Amino acid sequence: MHFFYLILAIPTFFCLICSFNKSLEMSKVHRLMQNECKICYGNLTTFNLSCPFLSQTYHSERHTGQYYTLPAAHIQKLFPHGLPPRFQLQIKTFNEGCVMVRPPALELISYLKKADYSKPPLRYILYGDVGTGKTMCLSHALHYCYTQGWLIVHISDAHLWVKNCKELLPSSSRPSRFDQPIQASQWLKNFKITNERFLSKVQLGYVWTKRERTEKGQPLGELVDQGVNRMKSSSDVVGAVLRELRLQAGGATEGEGAFKLAVAVDGLNALWGKTSLKKEDRTMCEPEELTLIHNVRKMMKNNWSGGAILTALSQTGSLFKPQSAYLPSELLGEEGFDNMEPFVPVSVSNYNEKEFESCYLYYLDRNWLQHSHSRSEEGKKELIFLSNKNPSILERLCAFL
Amino acid sequence: MCVSLSLCLVRWSRYNPYYLDPDPSKDARVPESELSPEEKELQELKTVSPIKAALSSDTSSAFNDPLISKFINMMMQDGNKILARGIMTQTLETIKRKQVEKYHKSPAAKREEIECNPYTVFHQALENCKPIIGLASVQKGGKSYQVPVPLTDNRRRFLAMKWLITECRDNKHRRTHMYEKLSQELLAAFANEGNVVKRKHDLHKMAEANRAYAHYRWW
Repeated sequence: MHFFYLILAIPTFFCLICSFNKSLEMSKVHRLMQNECKICYGNLTTFNLSCPFLSQTYHSERHTGQYYTLPAAHIQKLFPHGLPPRFQLQIKTFNEGCVMVRPPALELISYLKKADYSKPPLRYILYGDVGTGKTMCLSHALHYCYTQGWLIVHISDAHLWVKNCKELLPSSSRPSRFDQPIQASQWLKNFKITNERFLSKVQLGYVWTKRERTEKGQPLGELVDQGVNRMKSSSDVVGAVLRELRLQAGGATEGEGAFKLAVAVDGLNALWGKTSLKKEDRTMCEPEELTLIHNVRKMMKNNWSGGAILTALSQTGSLFKPQSAYLPSELLGEEGFDNMEPFVPVSVSNYNEKEFESCYLYYLDRNWLQHSHSRSEEGKKELIFLSNKNPSILERLCAFL
Repeated sequence: MCVSLSLCLVRWSRYNPYYLDPDPSKDARVPESELSPEEKELQELKTVSPIKAALSSDTSSAFNDPLISKFINMMMQDGNKILARGIMTQTLETIKRKQVEKYHKSPAAKREEIECNPYTVFHQALENCKPIIGLASVQKGGKSYQVPVPLTDNRRRFLAMKWLITECRDNKHRRTHMYEKLSQELLAAFANEGNVVKRKHDLHKMAEANRAYAHYRWW
């Protein structure tokens, strides 16, 4: 009888032993206690592990406005691309990557926790004005998925695929399509870094592209390597990889083969907008004619199961859209909106007072606000006035103060 | 940030000497009791005499720094103040980034020696670049001699800034950005190294070498 209770007590006792890494200046700053569950974080290389400790205590509403540190190993693996460039600079300068917990990200994570994964995936669209933190909220939610052991398909900026393309080859498999070998092979390399542990576990069904065929039972890693090594067929390989993941995501419910798929696209409006690429006869290229875009559009449909589609709109990299446009209907256009409907919209706005306070204290803590006037009350009011509590403008202001 | 190229130029550069400079800072108005008798006279003068129009680039906020404004004006080309100001802010940001990165990576003992404030770094670097004595060309008996001569404060400040800017424009690699070049040069000058400080030392040595001609100066 007593044995039984002991066996139940061991896992909880074990998790209590996990070291709590308190940051030193906790008393001054709204810094979250870093629940650095070394056992669980260390073991995330095993397939489909979700630490029960993490999923219970992962951020909740009482943590809004506080900063939490992304472990350096996670940043290297999960975000080889995908973080905004100024945030990457900040990580380098402060020697740590800290993200603020904000209501839109918490909302998204709560939806992800409660969703039914035997049904088709829900599509979440993060929208908001310029510089309010859509990409950061998306990265936060993606980090949650990563800690839960999902397979991540992350397109860091779809706008980069519709403009400034140096090599546009006519597709080898289909007559009216165009390939982008550089972008496709770059994406495959990043995919490999993020999902290394899945590459040997996921077995392919029968995959057939025009020139190369991969037999049944080959691991996904081989297909990805093929795409990276042979640049010419890399766009088709991307399509094949996406198709395979779609078919297998909802497949086995338990056991070794099961995984949940998180598809994250930043700059979703690029898929249905215009491109600035020209074909050889100097007519404009439609996004439909690009292999990469076509395959991602297929991914956005909810005709598969066992995952979630997280997206964010972006006006900053978009082509031929006015700067004032930020709503989904304005940025996606008619075609995009009809394709994405029904979706769950999540609005991201400027900081409120508590979040601004937290950001200000974080910069003070990291020794970033150096000007003596910026540390006074009046200086703070000036910062509020100049930035209108917009996260990106505040960051740019504090950079030289 | 609105770009209004049609700024109304109210301020002329030539004013009657009795016009006073404007002081937009909030600390300009001090209550009567705290002033000494000379300062009380100055205040009296301010109520009576006319004041020049304020520049568009001066603000009443405490973030306004006259030295930085002067440097921006000297860097400006073809009246493109927006570009010059952008370069200045990027320079300050780069200096701060380098110093803060060093600060976070160093052990606790060495942290106090690292100066992270880009404004103090700029002021100190400029001080280190200012020459104490200069040379003037004096003609005597058909031949012109380089005569060591004292410099006014404005002249010293001007020379320091001019040397910094020309050094960054001419002697650095063409593909680096101006803010990178400036930040490297400023950090070097802060530590009393680099080409600008070397130029100042060369000027001092020339003045020392020509001290025999010092009596040619009649002013």
